[in-house]
Amino acid sequence: MIVKDWCSYCGCCAGVCVRNCIEVKETALVFDDNCNNCGICVDACPLAALEMEEE
Amino acid sequence: MIKTDVLVIGAGPAGSTAARFAAKGGAKVILMDKKSEIGAPKRCAEGVSKRTFEILELEADPHWITQEIEGIRLIAPDGTDVWLTNDVVELPEAGYILERKVFDKHLAMEAGRAGAEIRIKTQAKGLKKEEDGSYTVTCECMGEVFDINAKILIGADGPESHVAKWAGLKAITKPKHMEAGVQFEMCNAKMERNDVLEFYFGSVAPGGYFWLFPKGDDIVNAGLAIIPEMAEKSAYEYLVDAVNNCYALKDAQPVELNVGGDPVGGLVKEMYNDNIMLCGDAASQVNPLTGGGITSGITGGKLAGQTAAEAIAAGDCSKEFLKKYAELVDEAMGHDMDKYSKACDYLWSLNDDDLNSIAKAFQDIEFETLGTTELVKALIKVQPSAALKLRKLFL
Repeated sequence: MIVKDWCSYCGCCAGVCVRNCIEVKETALVFDDNCNNCGICVDACPLAALEMEEE
Repeated sequence: MIKTDVLVIGAGPAGSTAARFAAKGGAKVILMDKKSEIGAPKRCAEGVSKRTFEILELEADPHWITQEIEGIRLIAPDGTDVWLTNDVVELPEAGYILERKVFDKHLAMEAGRAGAEIRIKTQAKGLKKEEDGSYTVTCECMGEVFDINAKILIGADGPESHVAKWAGLKAITKPKHMEAGVQFEMCNAKMERNDVLEFYFGSVAPGGYFWLFPKGDDIVNAGLAIIPEMAEKSAYEYLVDAVNNCYALKDAQPVELNVGGDPVGGLVKEMYNDNIMLCGDAASQVNPLTGGGITSGITGGKLAGQTAAEAIAAGDCSKEFLKKYAELVDEAMGHDMDKYSKACDYLWSLNDDDLNSIAKAFQDIEFETLGTTELVKALIKVQPSAALKLRKLFL
């Protein structure tokens, strides 16, 4: 997942992530290996700050 | 290994209140938050009802109250507005607009003064259930990793709700129930009255509304929340358009951008289990209609803290004991949640034309008091067909 630099670390993405694989730090967003690119977080982001990586 | 009776993860209003009441009840409490400053950045519009301070057992303090609110103004897409202010109608709940950065910190300080140990810049990385039922939480602070063992874990970690997911509680927020919220705090606003909350409905914010919450002088929180799957663009893009089209904001200048998710699906299925409770946004203790979660989160936090202290004193942290917490929460807000949830389904189904005609009809009605019942009765008068299901719900 590509995290744009305007991400504000609000945690909306982590909240809807069924795999609980997004760690929201104070100023960083970390996806663990469990992420299967389902894209739910991309749609949930209030700032459109997440983008799927091309396969 | 650090040992404690109660570990509260997240020092928002719900977590700090839980920690304070658990400590007041005699338990050894640790309150932790990942941030370096409690209360910042704020994630909401800062409105609370006055009864919040009765629940908190605290006096309202001018340090964190920016504006007393005397009413609301509802605005339809074509600009037709309905004023409901307490000089003409009796409002069921008066309120304040807070300065959350100061308020949240104050609540954490009250927890600290009641005896809770506070750890900031400390993030939970995972947890393990021990044989004796207690939880061991792996924490990280400034590069150091260590464990905290707690007889009772209180998850107050907001809409992210990692604690609930790690513990396997049925508490996940579905995407259709996670509102995406964005807000500018602005100066130079020219509101008609700076003691009245303004709500703009319709396609300006699908699945939510656009709000102006005055914060004293010419300052305003101008924000909106949408349900992404009902929307065509990002919440931020909706906000920029709404601000550009809002007359009161034509000279307004932003000093903050606030962002956050708001779980509006009603109380989570599992709010507790053996040795664990959830409160605040982590338990979806949020009014589904307004999206407001400060008052309800504080209510949940207080009940969780009190129940935790009682469980520690009784030496029984089982789910049978903690069930009491869920029952108290249900009693305090369960009924309203169901009701407002259904009202949302109705409200979000209306298009701009429906909303315009309802607003026009409402303008001619003189309300004496303002409660849900009065509003629904008026709604049924102007929109008999669509409002039939509401009659069943509310009257």
